Amino acid sequence: MRPQIILRYVGLVLLFNAAFLLISCIISGFNADSAFFPLLYTALISALFGVFPMLFVPPTTKITNKEGFIIVVLSWLLSCLVGVIPYIMWGGEFSFTNAWFESVSGFTTTGSSILTDIEALPLGLLFWRSATHWIGGIGIIIFMLAVHPSMGKSGMILYRTEMSSLAADNFHYRTRKTLQILVVIYVGLTLAETISLLLCGMSIFDAVTHSFATIATGGFSPKNPSIGYYKSTAVEIVIIVFMILSGIHFGLLFAAFTGKITDLWKSSIVRYYLAALTTGVIAVTVSLHGSQVYSWADALRYAAFQVLSIGTSTGFATTDSSIWPSFARLVMIFFTLQCACAGSTSGGIKADRMVLFWKAIVKRVKKIQHPAAVIMVKIDTAAFDDEVVDANILFLSFYIGIVFFSALILTALGVDILSAFSGSAATMGNVGPGFGTVGSAGNFSQIPDVGKWVLTATMLLGRLEIFGLLLFVTFKSWK
Amino acid sequence: MGLRIKILAGFLILTTMLAVAGVWSIYELTTVGTSVQRLLDENYKSINAGKMMIEALEREDSAVLLLLSGKWEQGRSIIESADDQFQKGFMTAQGNVTIPGEGASIDEIKARYKAYKELWLKPIVDTSKQGNLDWYFQEMHQAFQDVKLSVGKLVALNHQTMYQTASDLKNRTHRAIMPGIVAILAALIFTVIFNFLINYYVVSPIISTTKGIQRFMETGELPAIQVETEDELFHLVSSIQRLVAEVRTAEAQK
Repeated sequence: MRPQIILRYVGLVLLFNAAFLLISCIISGFNADSAFFPLLYTALISALFGVFPMLFVPPTTKITNKEGFIIVVLSWLLSCLVGVIPYIMWGGEFSFTNAWFESVSGFTTTGSSILTDIEALPLGLLFWRSATHWIGGIGIIIFMLAVHPSMGKSGMILYRTEMSSLAADNFHYRTRKTLQILVVIYVGLTLAETISLLLCGMSIFDAVTHSFATIATGGFSPKNPSIGYYKSTAVEIVIIVFMILSGIHFGLLFAAFTGKITDLWKSSIVRYYLAALTTGVIAVTVSLHGSQVYSWADALRYAAFQVLSIGTSTGFATTDSSIWPSFARLVMIFFTLQCACAGSTSGGIKADRMVLFWKAIVKRVKKIQHPAAVIMVKIDTAAFDDEVVDANILFLSFYIGIVFFSALILTALGVDILSAFSGSAATMGNVGPGFGTVGSAGNFSQIPDVGKWVLTATMLLGRLEIFGLLLFVTFKSWK
Repeated sequence: MGLRIKILAGFLILTTMLAVAGVWSIYELTTVGTSVQRLLDENYKSINAGKMMIEALEREDSAVLLLLSGKWEQGRSIIESADDQFQKGFMTAQGNVTIPGEGASIDEIKARYKAYKELWLKPIVDTSKQGNLDWYFQEMHQAFQDVKLSVGKLVALNHQTMYQTASDLKNRTHRAIMPGIVAILAALIFTVIFNFLINYYVVSPIISTTKGIQRFMETGELPAIQVETEDELFHLVSSIQRLVAEVRTAEAQK
C-alpha cells in the first residue's frame, strides 16, 4: 500500500470540498454574516491540504483495489471532518460532537439534525450545510472523477468502489460515459428543481438549498418547520416529483430523458418502487382519515408528502408524523428501512435488494416443491447466481442487526424505545427523521453524546453500504 | 518542480495557516474589546440613569407625603432636589439613545413626568388637598407609578440589550479562540504529512543513493536507485549513473 498515492487522491477530494466552502464563504460575505471567517479559513485549510501532496506525489493511473477502498472511505471521513470545522468555529449549538453529527448527517445525506433553531444559523453556514448534502448525494468520489480529466484505470477502481454493487446493472457504458451521465442527470435535476421552486415563489437561496437537499435525498431545510414553512401545495408537488425522480436509478432516468421512456416501466425494480410508494400513500391516507382528524384531501396531501419523503430517504416534513396513528407510523418505518432504488442518491436497504430477497424466497419455495429443478433468480433479463443472492441476504441480516444493535445502545443510554429504534433505522437508511423525540418536528439534540457518535457510525455504515467501512477498519488483515 | 520550491511551499503553508488564524484571533479579540466598551457606553450608562430617575421619583413621592401632612418647607426642599436629580438622570438617558425603541421610551418618560410634576407644582399645603389621601392615591400616586413604570421599561430594554451583547461577546470569544485551536491541530497534522513526504521523496532517495555509491565502491555494481520525482535528486541520481557509466567505460578501455 502506498500512503503517498492515498494522500494525493484524498487531497483532490479536499480541493473539491474547498470549492464549495469558498462558494459558501462568498454567500456569507455578501450577507456580511458571522460565518465568513469560519468558512474562509476552512476553505483555506482544505485547499492547502489538498494541493500540498500534489506538489510531491507524481500522478499515477494505477492504484490497487485496497488503495481504492482506503481512498474512498478516507475521502468520506475526511470530508466529514472538514465539514465539522466551520460549525465548531462558528459556535452556537455546535459542540464537537454536535458538529460531527451535523457534518456526517450532511455528507451521508441523512438529514438528521441536532439544531433546535436552524434559522439562527447565518446564510453562509446554511448554504454549506445544504452543500454537504449535494456533495455527498452522488458520492464525493464520483464527482471528483467526473471533473478530473484523466485518471485511467485508477478512476475505474475508485468508481467501482464508490458505486453500490447493485447500481452498476443499469449502466451499459464505459466508466467515463457513466460518470458523465451521473453528473449530467444530477446537475440537470438540481437545476430543474431550482427553477420550478423559483416559479413557485421561493427565494433563490431557499430554492437552491432545497434543491440540493431533494436531489441528494438529504432533507436539510434552512427553515425550522422544513417544507411546512411554505404552506404551499405547489412547492410540495414540485418537491414530491423531484423526490420520486431522485429515487430512481440515474441510468434509467438518462434512458428516459433520451427518448427511451419505456425503459423505466420495463424495469421491475422501478415498477416495484412506484407500486410500493403508491400502496404506502394509500394506506397512510386511509389511516389518517380514519383517525377523524384529517379530511380526505388533507390526509392525501400529508400522507403523499411524508411517505414519499421517507420512502425516498429524503426526510423533509410538512407536519409532525410522530403523532400519527400507529399503523401509519409502522408503514413509514417500513419505508425507512427499504428506501428507493440502487443507482440513485437514496440510502436504505434499497428496492433492488427487496425484490431480490422476495425472488429468493420464491426460488426457495419452488426448490422445496421441485428438489431436482434448476431455478435461477432473475430480475428482468439479469440472472443472479447463488453467491449474489446469499450476499444480498447477508446484507439484509447485517443491516437489520446493526439497526437493532444501535437501538439497543440508545435505549441503554436512556432513550425511549420508539425514538431509539426509529432513530437508528432513520440514520442507517440515511433518511433523517424517525419518530418519537427524533420525529419530523423534533431533532436529535437530546440524544446523549455517546448516542450521537453511535448514530453517526450507523450513518456512515449505511452510506458506505456496511462492507466499505468494515473493510476499512479491518484493512490490516486484508490480503 | 524543484525541491527548494516544494520545501518552501510546505513552510509557507504552515506559516499561512498559523498567520491567518492569528490575524483573525486578534481581530475578534479587538471586536470583543469594542463590544465591552459599547456595553459600558451604551447600556450601562442608561441603566444607571434609569436607577437615578427611579431613586429621584421615590424621593419626590416621599416629599409629596410630607406636603400632604403640612410640612411645606421640608417637603419643598426634598422635592426640588429630587427633581434636579431626576432631570440629571433624564438628560443622561436622553443623550444616550443607542438602541431601537429607546427614543420612544424616553419620550414616554418625558410626557408622564411632565404630568406628574404638574400635580406637585400646584400648592398642596393649606389647600383642600392637604391630608386628602383619596386625592393622593387616585391622582398623585397613580401619576408617580406611571413615570416609574416608564423608567422601568427603559431599564429593562437596556438590560435585555446588555444580555444580548454579553451573549454575543461569548460567541465572539469562542470565535477568537477557535481559529487558534484549529490552526494548531491542522499544523500538527500538516507537519506529520510534510515529514512523511520529505522522508519518502527526499531522505529515502538520498539514503539509497548513498548506499548505492557505497556498494559501487565495494563491489563495482551500482544498484537501481528509484527517484519518482523529477527534481534535483532525480538529476543527482542521473548524474551519478552517468558518472558510473563513464567510469566503467574508462575501466573497460584500460
